[in-house]
Amino acid sequence: MSEVRVVKLALVVDVLVGGLTTGGIYALVALGLNLQYGLMRILNVAHGEFLMLGAYATYSMHAAWGMSPLLALLVTGPVGFVVGLVVHRLLYARALASDEGREGIESRSLLLSFGLLFVIQNAALLIWSADLQGYSYLAVPVRMLGTVFPANRLVAAAIALGVGVAFYVFLRRTLTGKAIRALMQEPEGAQLVGIDVPRLHALCFGAGVAMSAVSGSLISMLFELTPFIGLPYTVTALVVVILGGLGNVLGTLLGAVLLGVVETAAVYTAASDVRVIASYAVLALILVLRPAGLLGRA
Amino acid sequence: MIAAAAVLLAGLAAAPLAVGSYHRALILAILADVALAVAWASFSGPTRYLSLATGAFFGAGAYATAMLVGRLAWPLPVVAGAAVAATMALAVGALALRLRGPYFAVFTFGLAELAKHTLIWFETGITGTVGRLILTPPGPNAIYYTVLALAALAVGGALLLRRSRWGYALVAIGADEERAATLGIDTTRVKVGAFALSAAWMGAVGAAMAPRWTYLDPQVFNPVVSFQTVIMALVGGAGTVIGPVVGAVFLGLAGEILLVKFRYLYLLGLGLALIVAVLALPQGLAGIFAGRRAPDAVTATRDA
Repeated sequence: MSEVRVVKLALVVDVLVGGLTTGGIYALVALGLNLQYGLMRILNVAHGEFLMLGAYATYSMHAAWGMSPLLALLVTGPVGFVVGLVVHRLLYARALASDEGREGIESRSLLLSFGLLFVIQNAALLIWSADLQGYSYLAVPVRMLGTVFPANRLVAAAIALGVGVAFYVFLRRTLTGKAIRALMQEPEGAQLVGIDVPRLHALCFGAGVAMSAVSGSLISMLFELTPFIGLPYTVTALVVVILGGLGNVLGTLLGAVLLGVVETAAVYTAASDVRVIASYAVLALILVLRPAGLLGRA
Repeated sequence: MIAAAAVLLAGLAAAPLAVGSYHRALILAILADVALAVAWASFSGPTRYLSLATGAFFGAGAYATAMLVGRLAWPLPVVAGAAVAATMALAVGALALRLRGPYFAVFTFGLAELAKHTLIWFETGITGTVGRLILTPPGPNAIYYTVLALAALAVGGALLLRRSRWGYALVAIGADEERAATLGIDTTRVKVGAFALSAAWMGAVGAAMAPRWTYLDPQVFNPVVSFQTVIMALVGGAGTVIGPVVGAVFLGLAGEILLVKFRYLYLLGLGLALIVAVLALPQGLAGIFAGRRAPDAVTATRDA
């Protein structure tokens, strides 16, 4: 009897901690997407491709110079930021400046990001091929609360959540952060009080790409890579953004952890195909029933 | 205009007699793309609802053929494929067409993945297969003429739809949905109906093309089909009927030349083509040829 209870407790800890580590990474990926979508209405379906690029960059630096992925993310983050600024300037600034109205801008930027997805994914296939690639880092077991976790997962989740929380604090405590929040709540009002909207758009797009690239660095420690890993993360991030509400940073962090736990529980109780079906079903249901998100306002 | 179309149609009908099997297959692939792009643009062009469900409907039709081809005489699986896709579109459309903008696009994109994984689960869990063999396919000429007929009917249907009350109602919805509803248009019925009609063409094309592969598995629900169709229509110009035809022929030829040898390079170029089309050619290639001529549906709605 008591043995059963111990096994059950271990299972609960397994699911909770496993869900937290998965959710931590989801949070960072989704936060980046929410910056782009919540702020600019750019539904960047190429978001996960920047994650894939970050992962491959980290892998390549590890393979060439033996660089630690924890150092590598200090490279991929800033480089991602600059790449984001350039992509924003070349593609989205023009679409955002047009006078087509919100819907027109949203459709155009969605198509642009689909184009970007094709370009990045196939460029990666040309460079790195479709074969699985990867390396091992910190794959040592850590005993915790009667069950075992690989250290790299805990480290990755801690860093991801740390960056996410740091960004939340940045939004709350700094003037730029305040301007970004103002822009999320009331775009026209923000413009009226003298906030430099195009500059903030560029900054936030860059920050979004940087978060995606850093998530990629972290993910490269955990899983083997193919050029196709990006899109599933985009879909997950989309589910999280919609769960948490557009432009809602705290909602994103909570939604990510919630989704991480639910998914981990689903993997424990059913097959992995069911996980995909469930996550699309959740997305479809929320889109139809609560388009503003679980915590969101219309 | 009609005479030119008749000559073109006669030429295409005679083509299998004159060309070898490679060129017949090339024309077949392009005709299928034409039908898909025209069908897509007949709904998404006027309404501006960006549908990424083409792969789902194409896959549904193809899989219907795979299940039926031995049991029904040839053109019937194509009809069944159209019916399956249209039914799916009616069910999904009633839900999804309440969503606007990117939400609708995301929902329809998810549809192909959802259908694929549900089918994998169904086939492995319940029927105990991982795919289906098409053991008695119809002859290559039968497939060719079926797809030629579908392409011609899709183009003709799209032309008729544009000039009908239904077509004008779709344009009105694309311009301002609330105003259209106020003016007495039953927007839900008009939208869902057009969505199902366009899905029926896609399902029929999927069903007709399926026997070319002797083996089908749920991977036939391919998102690339969705994107390729959108890109063809947009590169050509989604606001017209001729635009998607031009786009499909142009990219179909490029694809056939590049796809086998330089698959990734081709898909990369497809992405670039989409970006250029959106940034530089808002009306597509057809917009260049049309010059200053009468505004098409897209500019008309934009000015409205």
